Amino acid sequence: MDEAVVETHIPCDLVKVLGVEPQIRSKAVAFTQAFLKKNTEPRPQLDEKSLLSHKAVILEYTRPKKKRINKQQAKGLNAQQKREIKIFHIKSEHQRYELFLPLHNLWKQYIIDLCSGLKPTSSPQSVQQKLLKADFHGAIITVVRSKCPSYVGITGILIQEFKHVFKIITKQDTLKVIPKRNSVFQVEINGFISYIYGNKFEQRASERSAKKFKISGTIDL
Amino acid sequence: MTYAGLPVVIVSRCSGPKVVEVKMSSKTLLNCETSSLRHPNNRLSAHLEQLPFNYRATVLLPDCGCAPSQLDETLRSFQSFYLVRNLPLYELLDEHLGRGSVCGLSYKTRIDEDNCAFLKANGHLCLSLDKDSYELLGIEGKACKPKSSRYVVSVDLNDRSMAPGRPRYQRLFSGLTSRLPLKMEFLLAPASGDPDALQPLLSRYEWSRHTPEVSCRLLTHLSRPDPLTCDLRSYDPFDLLEWLGAVQADISCDNAADSFLSSLACPHPSAQSSQSSFLLEVRGLLLPQNIMTLVKQLSHFLERPLSPPWAAVTVHGFMDNLHVHERHFYTLVLFPDHAYSLHLATPAS
Repeated sequence: MDEAVVETHIPCDLVKVLGVEPQIRSKAVAFTQAFLKKNTEPRPQLDEKSLLSHKAVILEYTRPKKKRINKQQAKGLNAQQKREIKIFHIKSEHQRYELFLPLHNLWKQYIIDLCSGLKPTSSPQSVQQKLLKADFHGAIITVVRSKCPSYVGITGILIQEFKHVFKIITKQDTLKVIPKRNSVFQVEINGFISYIYGNKFEQRASERSAKKFKISGTIDL
Repeated sequence: MTYAGLPVVIVSRCSGPKVVEVKMSSKTLLNCETSSLRHPNNRLSAHLEQLPFNYRATVLLPDCGCAPSQLDETLRSFQSFYLVRNLPLYELLDEHLGRGSVCGLSYKTRIDEDNCAFLKANGHLCLSLDKDSYELLGIEGKACKPKSSRYVVSVDLNDRSMAPGRPRYQRLFSGLTSRLPLKMEFLLAPASGDPDALQPLLSRYEWSRHTPEVSCRLLTHLSRPDPLTCDLRSYDPFDLLEWLGAVQADISCDNAADSFLSSLACPHPSAQSSQSSFLLEVRGLLLPQNIMTLVKQLSHFLERPLSPPWAAVTVHGFMDNLHVHERHFYTLVLFPDHAYSLHLATPAS
């Protein structure tokens, strides 16, 4: 706003209406200054001289600011979300036995490498120890014995291993879900036939590699 | 109504077969059924079918001086049976057998320890398996109640779903060939009387042929229930059965004071017979139709004048073959007017 507007004379007709007394200029200036001084706070911070005294100002060198690492990792999905988006679900057009045969070949290679060449002379003990920690995705599994008779005889490639079940795809292109409990499975690799007792195998594949197996309890179903 | 103080349950009071059940122990009841062979509703053949395989039949004819001639012919008409060694079970599924033409059971297999099998004339194949065998075979079956270590797999081979080529048949066949290849000794007999039915089977395995053995003897001075004073039917069934068993086992029923071995005695009123009594025993694989022929022949024999007042037939079934252990023998008492009374033990439900 223009200062000149504040300093103009009040027009004569307004004087009667407002009931004020116009003052001469010098008196008005003095009054205004005194009024402002009384009613505003003193502001010492903005005083330039006080700002610059007793202060050290770093002119050129500054520390680079550390970027705060986000300590919270990505939360991941909880089980309900996983079930909703069906990440473990295999679509029906993908449920074909031929599609998984290359996986089986890969698994065979993996096991042969793991047991450092499965020769007929290698001891079953060492092979067994390695198999305990191995992953079985892609193995051809047969149910040999089971408390439930309808599971006996099912053969197929293992496509998913969960904590309590095996998901197997059979030659007839059907996906079978077989609980591990109360069943005995047979895995064959290069002439070594291994029997897996499902009752003792109820861990996730990832957790089993770290687990120590104890010889305890009966292996009766 | 009580029989010698024991609680008695009368099950049916119709004009036909009269059945009386007497409690033998906490788990068994003695079932006494009286009826007539001529009665249309008689269930004798159904009862005989309960024991499809029998190894022994004993006939007691009191006051009969000589062996009846017709009996000889009847006994000779019983079919011969075959003992086949190392017979694999899947052979019983063979379509050439023509279901219903062969029946038999496994021999020398103990029901409580080994796997047993039997094939009835009506095409029912029954396997009694222990736990490991059942888990290997992969066919649905039932657990025997007292202990779940014994399983029974029952298959009706005449059912349409068990026709060769059907999935159920394939599963049973593959189970018996690859998963659980059982081999047992079998006692086989042609069910329909045609001996050639077994030929294709016998040509492949080691076998031996047997005929039922017959042995008879005459018992002199046998003290038996007096026919003049009262009818055999009014005697207490327990006492009667005890006495019959003692006679067949050749135990003296004198009840002498100086004998400590047995205190069995003939039920009162009894009298010593002046004539000798005839005891006949047949051993072999006896099928229900054989027993029925024998019963009819005896019943005709009793109709003649000067025939004994009654005849008692005791039939023992193979013990290692059944799941109901109480019911492994029965006694049939025949009377001249084609009436009979059948005593058998049944499990108390």
